[in-house]
Amino acid sequence: MNVIDTVRLGKRYRRSWALRDCTLAIPGGHIAALVGPNGAGKTTLLTMAVGLTRPTAGTLTVLGGEPPGSPAALDHIGFVAQDAPLYRNLPVAGMLHLARNLNRRWDQRRATGRLAQLEIPLRQKVGELSGGQKAQLALTIALARRPALLVLDEPLAALDPVAREDFLASVVAAAQDDGISVVLSSHVLAELERVATYLVVLTSGEVRVAGAVRELIETHGAGLEEIALRHLRARVPSSRTEAGQ
Amino acid sequence: MTTGTLAPGAGPAIGRRPVPWAKLAWVTLRQRRGLLIGGGILLGVFAVYMVIMAVIQNSAYAAVAACHPAAALKCQQLNDSFYRSYWGGGAGPVLAGGGAQTVSSLLFAIPVLLGAFGGAPLLARELESGTFRFAWTQGAGRTRWAVSTLVLPALLLTAATGAFTAIFYWYFRPFLEDQQVSEMLPLAFAVLGVAFAAWTLVAYSLAAFLGAVFRRILPAMAVTLVVYIALAMATAIAIRPHYATPVTVQAWNNSDAWVISQWVKAPDGQVLTQPALNSLSQHLPPSVQNSPSPDAFTSWLTRHGYTMWQSVQPDSRFWQFQLTEGGWLLAVSAALIAGTIWLVRRRGALHLRLDGP
Repeated sequence: MNVIDTVRLGKRYRRSWALRDCTLAIPGGHIAALVGPNGAGKTTLLTMAVGLTRPTAGTLTVLGGEPPGSPAALDHIGFVAQDAPLYRNLPVAGMLHLARNLNRRWDQRRATGRLAQLEIPLRQKVGELSGGQKAQLALTIALARRPALLVLDEPLAALDPVAREDFLASVVAAAQDDGISVVLSSHVLAELERVATYLVVLTSGEVRVAGAVRELIETHGAGLEEIALRHLRARVPSSRTEAGQ
Repeated sequence: MTTGTLAPGAGPAIGRRPVPWAKLAWVTLRQRRGLLIGGGILLGVFAVYMVIMAVIQNSAYAAVAACHPAAALKCQQLNDSFYRSYWGGGAGPVLAGGGAQTVSSLLFAIPVLLGAFGGAPLLARELESGTFRFAWTQGAGRTRWAVSTLVLPALLLTAATGAFTAIFYWYFRPFLEDQQVSEMLPLAFAVLGVAFAAWTLVAYSLAAFLGAVFRRILPAMAVTLVVYIALAMATAIAIRPHYATPVTVQAWNNSDAWVISQWVKAPDGQVLTQPALNSLSQHLPPSVQNSPSPDAFTSWLTRHGYTMWQSVQPDSRFWQFQLTEGGWLLAVSAALIAGTIWLVRRRGALHLRLDGP
């Protein structure tokens, strides 16, 4: 089952295309890294996959054929948006209670267990948490929903190196323990080297390369970071002028 | 595990029933705690004050009403003193402050205050701070979330302001019973009956809608204020007088009706134009012109065969007018709330960036 399937998917914001002609099939069971520079269309692709935005062109389905934003898709996708938006004025426990009441599936024991492990106090206000704690809380909420697919948009961007390491370890553990598929976007490559099992390189709204990391390494004979860099550097002459961000 | 078990809806743990409304209501109440507390305090302070004053005023008015015969000088003085103390204010107990006239004009501001502060942040804060990306990707889905977020506070506001009107009526009753103040006057009309709750609801719905349009709280509040004031003024001046055809009566100094216009007819039956009336008042005998009595001019006119006419909306139409106004305000509010839900559903389909400009 593919967790994300797109056919000639495009999204136009006013005059410029944020994503165009994107045909992609990300299989389940992977930690898929969506890599590309800022403005490459990563967020656009992910917000469409979680049903926040609708495509301008082409088709997009998730979890083996579900339309994004449909009840079935919403139930089974845990999404953490960029900067992990949560209600700053609520205490951590209130935030959990809120998420619990917004979902049909909720594993309270798992949520409180994770927070205890991370030493995040339940009484603390969300707005008073550190960047790393806030990202972990958002991840905890997404995981407590027992999703089939976890979508993380730039989860590492706002974190310091230690927090990045911890966050990625949590993601890997969740993927391994619960068999959750993960799609995460990032403009930094270094940390993804060890965790990603599937790679999609996106620049200027177009897919440059997509494939399982093991196969890519075999065909290219290079490390993940180098493969990505090579494709990021390769300029495609066509359509640059229109696709400008 | 195999990827096959990930198929949505396959797990036994999850039925087809959507997230119950009771759970969504909890979410809405938790997020609107500030509005509930703030609005409760605002209405509560006024309500407590009005209950205290209602007890004082109603007992003071009982003495006025019991005075017999009403035309006696003693009773007239009692009545005057009651009005000076409790209507105009200043002459009575310190607690009466500026009097009922001032209180009821202060209450004018409550619907737009409650509406703007309650309605504007509902969607604007989510869109401004980016938390809509959390709220709209949960299992409940954004439509149910939006319905709960918009409708529950609307119901609570309507109930609270409706109950508030009942207290206000109790407080205001002596002036209405005495027939010195018409409940059809704009000052009283908007705070009585269903109008107070309906105006609160329309301000709230407008603010919520504008919050979704502008995606910012402050502009939504500011525009709500401007539009609300314009709508309230236009209603009182131009719309409300037309709910029913005004009644023409031969009278002056009407206190049990809302006077829309008035004119004077000459002894020959011709309506006097304003310049003619002005020139007439300037050519009166000095005894009338210099008279301290405000009725001197009108009594002179009556003595000389002039007749005075008014076009009025009588007090008996109070409920008809209340229900008309409540009805169209409710329709406007419902349309605005439906429009806001439509905007929530549509957002993302438009060519608007979700991740900033």
